[in-house]
Amino acid sequence: MSLRRPLNAALLPLLLSACSYQDYQSDFGKGAVQDSDFLTLFTIFLVVCAIMYVLVIGFLIAGILRRGRAVEANVVETGRHHQSHPAMRTTLIGWAVLIGIGLAGLAIASFFTDRSMAKAATNQKLSIKLTANQWWWDVQYNSADPSKTMRTANELHLPVGVPVRITLASNDVIHSFWVPSLAGKQDLIPGRENDITITPKRTGIFRGQCAEFCGVQHAHMALIVDVDSYADFIKWWDHQLQPAAAPTNPAALAGYKYVTTGPCSACHNIAGTPASGTVAPDLTHLASRRSIAAGALPMGEGGLYGWVEDPQSVKPGNHMPTIGLEPDQLHSVVAYLETLK
Amino acid sequence: MRRVATALLGVGALVACASVTACNKSQQSQSSAPVITAPIVGGPHALPPAAAAPADDGNWTMPGKNYASTRFSALSQITPANVSKLALAFTFSTGTTKGFEAPPLVVNGTMYVITPFPNYLFALDLTKPGAPTKWEFKPKPAAASQGVACCDVVNRGAVYDNGKIFFNTLDGQTFAVDANSGQMVWHTQLGDIQKGETITMAPLVADGKVLVGDSGGEMGVRGWIAALDEGSGKVVWKAYNTGPDKDVLIGANFHPFYASDRGKDLGVKTWPPDAWKIGGATVWGWISYDPETKLIYYGTSNPGPWNPDQRPGDNKWSSGIFARNVDTGQAAWYYQSSPHDLFDHDDVNEIILADIPWGNGRRPVLLRPDRNGFFYVMDRRTGQVLSATPYGYINVYKGVDLKSGRIIPNPDKSPKPGRVTRDICPASPGAKDWNPAAFSPVTGLVYIPHINLCQDEGHMEANYISGTPYVGADVKMYAGPGGNRGVFTAWDPIHRRPVWEIKEDLPLWSPALVTAGNVVFYGTMDGWFKAVDARNGKLLWQFKAGSGIIGQPISYRGPDGRQYIAVICGVGGWAGAIVDANMDPHDPTGALGFANAVKDLPLKTTAGGILYVFTLPR
Amino acid sequence: MSSRFRVSVAAIAVAAIALCACNREEHHSRAKPIGETIPTSQSPATIFPGNGTPPPLDPRAALYDNNANAIGQGQQLFSMMNCVGCHSHGGGGMGPALSDDEWRYGGRIDQIAASIADGRPNGMPSWRGKLTADQIWDLAAYVRSLSGLPSKDAVSSRSESMSAGTPSTLTPHGEIKNSDAAQQ
Repeated sequence: MSLRRPLNAALLPLLLSACSYQDYQSDFGKGAVQDSDFLTLFTIFLVVCAIMYVLVIGFLIAGILRRGRAVEANVVETGRHHQSHPAMRTTLIGWAVLIGIGLAGLAIASFFTDRSMAKAATNQKLSIKLTANQWWWDVQYNSADPSKTMRTANELHLPVGVPVRITLASNDVIHSFWVPSLAGKQDLIPGRENDITITPKRTGIFRGQCAEFCGVQHAHMALIVDVDSYADFIKWWDHQLQPAAAPTNPAALAGYKYVTTGPCSACHNIAGTPASGTVAPDLTHLASRRSIAAGALPMGEGGLYGWVEDPQSVKPGNHMPTIGLEPDQLHSVVAYLETLK
Repeated sequence: MRRVATALLGVGALVACASVTACNKSQQSQSSAPVITAPIVGGPHALPPAAAAPADDGNWTMPGKNYASTRFSALSQITPANVSKLALAFTFSTGTTKGFEAPPLVVNGTMYVITPFPNYLFALDLTKPGAPTKWEFKPKPAAASQGVACCDVVNRGAVYDNGKIFFNTLDGQTFAVDANSGQMVWHTQLGDIQKGETITMAPLVADGKVLVGDSGGEMGVRGWIAALDEGSGKVVWKAYNTGPDKDVLIGANFHPFYASDRGKDLGVKTWPPDAWKIGGATVWGWISYDPETKLIYYGTSNPGPWNPDQRPGDNKWSSGIFARNVDTGQAAWYYQSSPHDLFDHDDVNEIILADIPWGNGRRPVLLRPDRNGFFYVMDRRTGQVLSATPYGYINVYKGVDLKSGRIIPNPDKSPKPGRVTRDICPASPGAKDWNPAAFSPVTGLVYIPHINLCQDEGHMEANYISGTPYVGADVKMYAGPGGNRGVFTAWDPIHRRPVWEIKEDLPLWSPALVTAGNVVFYGTMDGWFKAVDARNGKLLWQFKAGSGIIGQPISYRGPDGRQYIAVICGVGGWAGAIVDANMDPHDPTGALGFANAVKDLPLKTTAGGILYVFTLPR
Repeated sequence: MSSRFRVSVAAIAVAAIALCACNREEHHSRAKPIGETIPTSQSPATIFPGNGTPPPLDPRAALYDNNANAIGQGQQLFSMMNCVGCHSHGGGGMGPALSDDEWRYGGRIDQIAASIADGRPNGMPSWRGKLTADQIWDLAAYVRSLSGLPSKDAVSSRSESMSAGTPSTLTPHGEIKNSDAAQQ
């Protein structure tokens, strides 16, 4: 018993550090310039505050130890510092100066971090609009050439080393954008636009998460961020711009007919087909994504079956209804969705 | 010139200030006395080109009167001196109660009346007393088409040519009917209501071709104009207004004046991927034709959806004017008056062809009071904008840059996502909607019936489901500065200023007619049919019809040699839908926001559909 | 047992009974198979010859009518499925007004659901096969709420239409540039 408690205390940081395995979702990921800047700022704050803390505690302990000697004065606070001992006066002045330097240091560090954020925002080379919905992310890539505008969902692809400005909006309630490895939090608020700038420093996959309680499926509102080399990113963008390929095998063809004329088409868009709904995630390249329904299920045949058959048991309360597909319809719909690479 | 405009604006501001208290009063009065703001200047003025506006034979065979779309009658028996004696000759009830925007046609002693849905066509024998019905033709359009007609189930008119009457039905068909017997000659299905395509426009017959365009800019359709062979109804050519150049019929002969309209496949590149397929740019308004150059001129509608965030880019070829060769459909030039339209400022308004004094000679131009509030004078051979002058109150644009041809938007009024933008002037129906102006070569003035509305607008994501609306906007309209919702302006296109103005309480939704006798006719939505003096706007005569008037008056010479004036009442259209569609006035967003501006209309008029014909007593 | 204690026990009992009756927000996110639940062409108030009686109210109506969750879901669908485009926020336009007290095809929730599912001849589209039965019932519940038919406690007090502020058109005019080739 007496041993277990300190052991637990020692294990906790270890467990926490396991969360940052491969820096997939970690505040200390340093995945982007902004995250590193924040981390530097955090370190400065930590160091300054730690020094001050140690000093305060040190003086406190010293005070307690010296308590016996001070008893004859029996005055804790007289308000007459000028009459006090010269050494005491010097110490107090020194203490005030130290506080001033510490606070000024924090303010300056904070100021410069803030400026570098603002500079990055004006320096943006790529503009993305991220719209939060209950409970999924709508991602729109903007371009000076409107015909290169592209939409996807629940997955953010960024080029490494390029400042990207992400405009944040919401269609229903307040959500919060949080990809710990890349940047700080920023809220998505209905009726206004926020923005956040990210300059990724290294390639990799990072996980983001809605960080503001937004309804029953708040926990199932993940965002995968894929940082690629610039060339790979452009390749990916070009691929996403391609309309969905027409299916060839009979099962997928039957699924195509059902999806593009049935209930799916009232909400979802699949470029190159009659399905042009805008109120649900774009499915044009669904199968090329890593997850289904904002991280509710992994992408794959099993996930698609589970999700399409009964989305309300996978993610109860979400806007996709359980349609009650017949088995052959289900097979063909999944066969078609798997072709949407 | 600038000083005059500033003075006018000053007067406007004074009126606006005074109207805060006078608002209630102005709601009661029908219309104000005309305000004369400038003299009619003598000397050379604008004239219609002779080829497009031949001498008047006393008939009225197409809604615009002639290819130049002057809506001018050369008959002069009715004058300001005797118009007050005007009396009813006969009436005719069409049996429909929807918005009546079409003019009657008169051809050699027979009058043809095309009604709104269900698009009955009547032939009335003018040679007999009381004008009995000669025949009627019922095309029986699909009833479901009513559910995809954005702004009432109107029809803007039929056209007569070569022994046949041509008209469109709401469900997307074009009919040719023998003018003598009332037998159908051919019909062609052009629009698909399952996609939201309807046809409400009046066709134009030019050079042996019937020109037809679709409606449905609020339904996510893809706009087009088609030319049908007059004899057989076969499609000769069909040009889309969005998409790749080969669909738009843009080829080697396409020479737009401004650089921003040059480039390959702009109908695709100025839209997000695939958005052009559902991007509107329909042709539901008017077509004019210049027989000398064999060019037709027409405007394209708003891009869809109304929510501009869903369609970044210039959205070509929406909200602009096309000039096309009538034989091949090949585009000659294009001008976009509202690139990346933010406020549903369609560009379908009438295009009046005129030759204006220019240097020592005359320059062939087109005149158009545009929906965006500017009166454009453009060279009709090249598409160059010669001038663009506001003829109504505008705060969403700062002007038109004549170097680039682009309108200058006011950034304060650009819509922001999730926010309501207040005080957008002019409102979505523009400073003037579809109802055409008339142009008198006698006075050289353009008589513009128009509206004075502003609006609040908020956007939300529009979902595209074919056959349902694709709008994404909540709109609430109300009276503009001054509190009057309608204005009738006599506009001098040469000196670019109003000569006189009449403030009307209700929005003006009826087209105008002007005659050589210097009398101007127009109707109001509460049913007053008015005759005013073309020179000073003085009210000379008025008649209260059974329903509000949004139809076009015409003037013709009867078989007895006398001059007649005809108009059909029947309130409706976008502005009057609150009455004929029996809407609930408590919802300010009803009828795409128009309901809020005319909440009082149901108390002032009821639906109907009656023809009135007037003449002077013997 | 003090009187105060007895009073609070009674109050708790009353509150508990009241809560039992509180099913206005009961959720039912799992839909049932199509075909079983959408009423087919329930006739409006018409004539049933031979001493016939109108069909009784569909028993499933009770699940949706007066249910705040159904009305809320229906409200979202009303916008997402473009109903707003034709019916506005109840005032009408392309389609008839829904906020008045006139019902062409009946104002009972099952009659409204039938109108949505099967369409009506003058342009109302048929949503069967595009929406699930559950969604259609939700929409019907919301449509009824537009004319204030459900009880007040089930309906959101937040208006979806635009605020009716005073128009701000009476502001001073800005200068608009005339554009004239001859002047430049």
